[in-house]
Amino acid sequence: MPVNARIFRNKPIRRKLLIMIMIATASALALAGAGIVVFDSLLFRSYLRRDLTALARIIADNSTGALTFGDLKAATETLTTLRARPHVASACVFGKDGILFAHYSRHNATVCPAPGAGEDIRFTTSDVVVTQPILLSGGTVGTLVLVYDLDEIGERTQLFGGIVAAVLLASSLLALLLASKVRGVIEKPISTLVRAASSVSDTGDYSIRAQKISNDELGLLADRFNEMLAGIQSRDEDLKAERERFRFMAESMPQKIFTAKPDGTVDYFNRQWTDVIGSSFEESGGWSWTQFVHPDDVEETVRLWQHSVATGELLNLEHRFRRTDGKYRWHLTSAHSMHDLNGHITMWIGSNTDIHEQKEKEDALRRANEDLQQFAYSASHDLQEPIRNVAVYSEIVARHYGARLDDDGRQFLGFLHEGGRRLATLVDDLLAYTRAGAAEPTDSPVDSLEALRNSITSLSEAIRESGAEVTWDELPDVFIGTSHLQQVFQNLIGNALKYRHDKAPRIHIAAEPQGKFCRFSVQDNGIGIDPQYKEKIFGVFKRLHHDRTYGGTGIGLAICQRVVERYGGRIWVESQPGKGSTFYFTVPRRTGTGAGAPLGSAAG
Amino acid sequence: MAKGRNNSSWRNAGALALLCLFPMARAAEAPGEYDVKATYLLNFAKFVEWPANAFATADSPIAICILGKDPFGRAIDELVQGESANGRKLVVRRMPEFPSPQTCQIVFSEDGGAELARMGAAGRAILTVGEGAAFVRNGGMIGFVVENHRVRFDISQSAARAASLHLSSRLLAVAREVAR
Repeated sequence: MPVNARIFRNKPIRRKLLIMIMIATASALALAGAGIVVFDSLLFRSYLRRDLTALARIIADNSTGALTFGDLKAATETLTTLRARPHVASACVFGKDGILFAHYSRHNATVCPAPGAGEDIRFTTSDVVVTQPILLSGGTVGTLVLVYDLDEIGERTQLFGGIVAAVLLASSLLALLLASKVRGVIEKPISTLVRAASSVSDTGDYSIRAQKISNDELGLLADRFNEMLAGIQSRDEDLKAERERFRFMAESMPQKIFTAKPDGTVDYFNRQWTDVIGSSFEESGGWSWTQFVHPDDVEETVRLWQHSVATGELLNLEHRFRRTDGKYRWHLTSAHSMHDLNGHITMWIGSNTDIHEQKEKEDALRRANEDLQQFAYSASHDLQEPIRNVAVYSEIVARHYGARLDDDGRQFLGFLHEGGRRLATLVDDLLAYTRAGAAEPTDSPVDSLEALRNSITSLSEAIRESGAEVTWDELPDVFIGTSHLQQVFQNLIGNALKYRHDKAPRIHIAAEPQGKFCRFSVQDNGIGIDPQYKEKIFGVFKRLHHDRTYGGTGIGLAICQRVVERYGGRIWVESQPGKGSTFYFTVPRRTGTGAGAPLGSAAG
Repeated sequence: MAKGRNNSSWRNAGALALLCLFPMARAAEAPGEYDVKATYLLNFAKFVEWPANAFATADSPIAICILGKDPFGRAIDELVQGESANGRKLVVRRMPEFPSPQTCQIVFSEDGGAELARMGAAGRAILTVGEGAAFVRNGGMIGFVVENHRVRFDISQSAARAASLHLSSRLLAVAREVAR
């Protein structure tokens, strides 16, 4: 059955309709035929029952005389009248005592069954046996037995079968005729729809519309199909416009633009790429673009790109591409992944910016800076010796020959000694500044409290002199060179001590986590800084006070900035002139370490 | 040929049936002529309708009267035991002379045929049964005839009609000859 059902399912609708009509017609006819035959056979039997009973009674009645008077001839004649009924197979008259008296048979071989008692009609499969007592004056004088064959039923069934077959044939022809009409009603709209759908599918032309033939469900289907097509058409046009927009955007960009599939194979290069890939996309799509990457950069480029493709992370790298003229040029390549609602990467879009000139300038600048730094370091270092001589010898002169000099001479010598000392400090600071750019190992955490204590120890004399009070909260471990952190604290606290009012300075150091960094603050109640100088103060040799009220070389904050930026942090100040300043700086912290409540303090 | 043989065999069977039909024919002895005639006489009653005035009362029996010589003997008395026709009992009476009205419904005479034949013609509702074809010709209603060793009878329907008797067509059908 399933096989048949599948075969039927795959037939065209026209064939299905035909088959269904035929099945319906045939089954209706077969049912009707069977009903007629069954009903007729029942009807015929009841008719036969009445008819044969009557016939038997007549024959029995007519046989009374012959039987009573033993007239075999007359009895036989009476029975022979049954010849008019061709289906009477045989008829017998039995005497009172059950002995056969007279007999008629259509075929000589047929024999009547022995009579039963009383009136009886019995149907067998092939015949009917009627037993009719022969009555005379209220008494039974014998029995008539009649055998009637049922060939008639077969004949009638045959007849009806023939009629049903003929009607079936006629109705099948009618069904065929009807099916072709139905084909027009059902199959035509469907095949029109199918044709429309096929041509849309084949040509991709969404302006095609299906013809509506009827106003029924199929017509509705055609309407809905057309609405759908209209929807697709407008969306298709939108898509085309959008694609054009993107292409126009991508093509008109000064940068090289590319897109890639989620697996990292490149499927689009904009026009700017032609100076690298030359002619066609086909030669450089997929992964073949790697042939244009500088051999030294290929490995790193592929590694990073594969990492991004695997993780969806932003790609950002600098590498060299070979132009069609054979020259390599530095590019900044970055690529972003686009995600769908489920977070899966749907595509990559990337740009390659030519940064060759910039890169070259940067290199030159860096080299110049390095030279300058080297020069500054060497100069400072080499200057230390003669400066120390000036200080040492001016002190020797003061000690041994001071008495011989007059007042002016001693004063001038004092100027010389002071100048030498300041020069030495300046050179020390310069050296510190150049060293601030040098690397210090930071792979283990540093206790910032210890660095703060060291700074305070170094500044203990100045603290005592100024009567300052230095307090701090709990301070965390951070990732920065110990001496660098100490340098920053020392400079900031030193400044707080230096730029003060007449009253004793109060300095507070605190720290709080900010993402991967820790933000330290050094707060004072000093003279403060005018907002316009907030940036300037971090420059080398930038001093706001050139008078001698506040001594210093103007390098301290520059050193702080250099150190903090060296570790990826930043430094800034917030201040209200006359009321005090708070310097903030950020350095990398060990994650999981939190700053607690204010605890320690050191008073001067 | 085959058909002829079959017919004769059926005739034998018929004869046998007939033999068995009559209780008289019990035992090995063949039924005598008058045994058959006695039976017929009884059976005639069943095929004849008498007018109501033929009987003295509504439940009067049908009397079979043997006029004069009695050829049946006791056999007919035995036969008539328990027999009835049309709701009336059958009785046998022997009469020395012709009976008064309503006494007999069937009268049989072996020897006084001519006289009986005339009486029947007198219009009384009595079925007259006699011997020979001449009995019928002379005005009798039913006359026994022996033909090919078989007992048969001729009927005069006109005589019966004249006596207001109605003879069943079934009786007429088995008669040797019927005078209309």
